[in-house]
Amino acid sequence: MAANATTNPSQLLPLELVDKCIGSRIHIVMKSDKEIVGTLLGFDDFVSILWWKCLRPEITPEGRRITKLDQILLNGNNITMLVPGGEGPEV
Amino acid sequence: ASGGGGGGGGAGKMADKEKKKKESILDLSKYIDKTIRVKFQGGREASGVLKGFDPLLNLVLDGTIEYMRDPDDQYKLTEDTRQLGLVVCRGTSVVLICPQDGMEAIPNPFIQQQDG
Repeated sequence: MAANATTNPSQLLPLELVDKCIGSRIHIVMKSDKEIVGTLLGFDDFVSILWWKCLRPEITPEGRRITKLDQILLNGNNITMLVPGGEGPEV
Repeated sequence: ASGGGGGGGGAGKMADKEKKKKESILDLSKYIDKTIRVKFQGGREASGVLKGFDPLLNLVLDGTIEYMRDPDDQYKLTEDTRQLGLVVCRGTSVVLICPQDGMEAIPNPFIQQQDG
């Protein structure tokens, strides 16, 4: 976790923001039409794997289905966006 | 005849190992606090104010608006937009970054008029 000598040290690093989310709610948008909302337990260096305590994955409005899962390991390959504190398209 | 392409730009051995870190071909620091548009693999688009980035192209966007593309949607951007607020975008799925005011929609230049 050495500090990167980036060009602008006063900016907000993306992985720092994710790190601040640990223990709180986060909403993840995949490349496909899948999203997940839950409590972030942790992630790794590549954000390639996230640990979740997941409340529900949601499928977009075409065939809305809300599934509740307890604890999942999400592969970060398909993650497009991470929204701290997000609630997803429908509460 | 193999071209080869000699010269090798910038591959000189540096005395300091730490100088050999990866250099980004795009300097995002000039976009900090500016609104940019980002396109992702899978067809999603988003725009927001760039608050931070890293060499892997992970981005922090504020006030993010996400646009989704449907089969009927094509390039209509007003449909299905959502406000996401502060988001982190994964660099592995970013395919395009441009300033929001640096692009405009033009009529399709490739449509050929067919004279019947």
